[in-house]
Amino acid sequence: MLRRTLLFLTIPAFAQLKDADWLTYGGNDASWRYSELNQITPANVKQLNLEWVFQTGISGKNETTPLIRGNMMYVTGPDNNAWALDLLTGRQVWRYVKPVPPSLPICCGQVNRGFALSGDTLLKMNLDSTLVALDAKTGAVKWETPLADYKKGYTGTVAPLVIKDKVITGIAGAEFGTRGFIDAYDIKTGKRAWRFYTVPAPNEPGGNTWPKDSTAYQRGGGSTWVTGTYDPETNLTFWGTGNPGPDMNGDVRPGDNLYTCSIVALDADTGQLKWHYQFTPHDVHDWDATEDPVLLDITHEGRKVKAVVMANRNGFYYTFDRATGKLLTTKAYTKVTWAKGIGKDGRPILIPGQDPTPTGNTTCPGGGGGHNWQASAFSPQTGLYYFPTTDGCHTYFMTNQEFVEGAWFQGSTFTGEHHFPVGSILAVDPATGETKWRWEMVSTPTAGILATATGLLFSGDREGYFFALDAKSGKPLWHRQLGGTVIAPPVTWSRAGRQFVTIAAGPSIFTFALTR
Amino acid sequence: MSCRPWPLLILAPILLQAQNPFAGNASEADAGRGLFRIMCRPCHGISAQGGRGPDLTLGVYNNGNSDNDLFRVIYHGVQGTEMPSYGARIGDENVWRMVTYIRSLTTRKEPPPPGDRAAGEAFFWSKGGCGNCHIVGQRGSAFGPELTRIGRKRSLEHLRQSLTDPNADLTPTYYKITVTPRTGPNITGTQRNIDNFTAELMTTDGRIHFFERDAVSSIQRDYVSLMPAYKSLPTQDMNNILLYLLSLRGEN
Repeated sequence: MLRRTLLFLTIPAFAQLKDADWLTYGGNDASWRYSELNQITPANVKQLNLEWVFQTGISGKNETTPLIRGNMMYVTGPDNNAWALDLLTGRQVWRYVKPVPPSLPICCGQVNRGFALSGDTLLKMNLDSTLVALDAKTGAVKWETPLADYKKGYTGTVAPLVIKDKVITGIAGAEFGTRGFIDAYDIKTGKRAWRFYTVPAPNEPGGNTWPKDSTAYQRGGGSTWVTGTYDPETNLTFWGTGNPGPDMNGDVRPGDNLYTCSIVALDADTGQLKWHYQFTPHDVHDWDATEDPVLLDITHEGRKVKAVVMANRNGFYYTFDRATGKLLTTKAYTKVTWAKGIGKDGRPILIPGQDPTPTGNTTCPGGGGGHNWQASAFSPQTGLYYFPTTDGCHTYFMTNQEFVEGAWFQGSTFTGEHHFPVGSILAVDPATGETKWRWEMVSTPTAGILATATGLLFSGDREGYFFALDAKSGKPLWHRQLGGTVIAPPVTWSRAGRQFVTIAAGPSIFTFALTR
Repeated sequence: MSCRPWPLLILAPILLQAQNPFAGNASEADAGRGLFRIMCRPCHGISAQGGRGPDLTLGVYNNGNSDNDLFRVIYHGVQGTEMPSYGARIGDENVWRMVTYIRSLTTRKEPPPPGDRAAGEAFFWSKGGCGNCHIVGQRGSAFGPELTRIGRKRSLEHLRQSLTDPNADLTPTYYKITVTPRTGPNITGTQRNIDNFTAELMTTDGRIHFFERDAVSSIQRDYVSLMPAYKSLPTQDMNNILLYLLSLRGEN
């Protein structure tokens, strides 16, 4: 009886809620993953209940960010699958699937991180290294453009980014001796508008950071498998780049190895490089800079700065002036043993003896780094920036390995250490990187984060829980077991005066709302 | 992950006849070592001496001891186990390279320690108290890891280390869990489940306890074993018990 009364009291607020969509990978061009929807609050989050489940029937890691528009939800899945679902029932409207070629060389699962949406066109990367455009109403293929040869280890997993009439996308495969790039395609025709190679040729600027008279750059890595961001004011698109190849054997690629483990700011119309910063010069620890580059306005030395920030895999948090690329602040957010800090010249102050060796050498952070690709969130309501981090170290081994096209080209590996805790969700002051709270987890984090205007964070974990934390304190407020690891980030949306939260877990898509 | 039956069907008759093209070739074995470190290290360890997966340095394997057996296991995986298939991913030449590497390891001879297996068995079930925590076949208690097939899974040295220094390489999920209730004494046991919101543990009496983090003061997990370290065990007892453990192959 009491419960009914409480529910009744909350209903008037329901009617005021306007319909809200979720239209891009990062929630907005700046990748805040923040929603103004305010129906679900710390006080009522315990009343969240399951509205529907869509079982995809496809096993594998589901990393999709669902997109929501009209009466449809668009989700991608492993093995070149995608679906349009009825928003209010979760029933399938159409399905897209393209057979995956046998013997596809791919490092970390046949995954996909989601669609991009432009008008009535959905855009998606396929594993066999193509960009496909689908009719949002029917799922019919409008065009499909190959980016590179999948047999050589190039794979498509990233959610593309729509900027005006173009779609910007990237490539995975730095464990196979590939050469990374960022591409732009005309959304109407599928024709390539520009390409920026993340590893320059010898005669190009930055080419001198690779060995002379060598083809090493052609296997140089620098993959681009996490969606960039866009600043309309400067017309710049910001992308993080992956590790150099081979990952752990730097001897075959002396030099800084630009633009691997970097952030690059490109003119969105031309792909021209405006500025870059390399987080980890000559990386030998597989510390891809494929963490979301988030656009925030911060106060630095008493001055408002339009910034881009990244909690990098190498253990440091960085802020930059996004117009100029000037490095503003750096701060370690987890245990770091490879560098004392970042010097005034912007280069890490290295601690000697940290490189992988044939017999193994222990360094922190570990191979997955601190913060990895798992989507972060920024809440203007709390002013805090949130990201998951793995806290730990690995023993890194180096092996000489001959390059074979389409074969693993990692130059060995890393092994784990046993200690707890192993991961956490962090809240930092985005201006300084100073940790405000840390919620420790029993295993390494897997899922992304969503922030809402009522001071809630939603995320999930390896053990299959979907949960809500208090954005101010990190205190857990609600959790529900979904029976499958949560690898994807959650999204929120509203229809008919109700707020919904959607998350992929295991092979299924779950949508929650407050009890009616 | 997808089902790809055709290449396997076509190759299967050829594979039955195949010989290891790299048998005894040191440089191919070295190439196999590079692949092994990437693909196999997570379970079989960086030096192939086992971990979650069996020790591969003994020259005796669970699914056959010929080169062709090893090839088959790596190529196709072992259904119903955690051993996945690699053939479609890396191709048969690379599988042979791995086989060649594994073969190059199996010069590691471990003469069994001098001792008496029957005395070891008696010690295990009486004075040693091992059966209070471990199951062998249908006897014993489930507080610690089951040992019915441990002689297949672990090397002599790994077993010796487990007895003298149980914390050195703990079997996953047998971590120590300590729950501090709001009132009353701490409860300590081995992990059965732990997540960010709950924990389940077994106490030495064989009972399973479930806790929600909200309802207790703290749940602490430590990377330590609750097994006593048998550091000062007389050599003869140690050898006897090692012989008994090595003989546990799930065959009785």
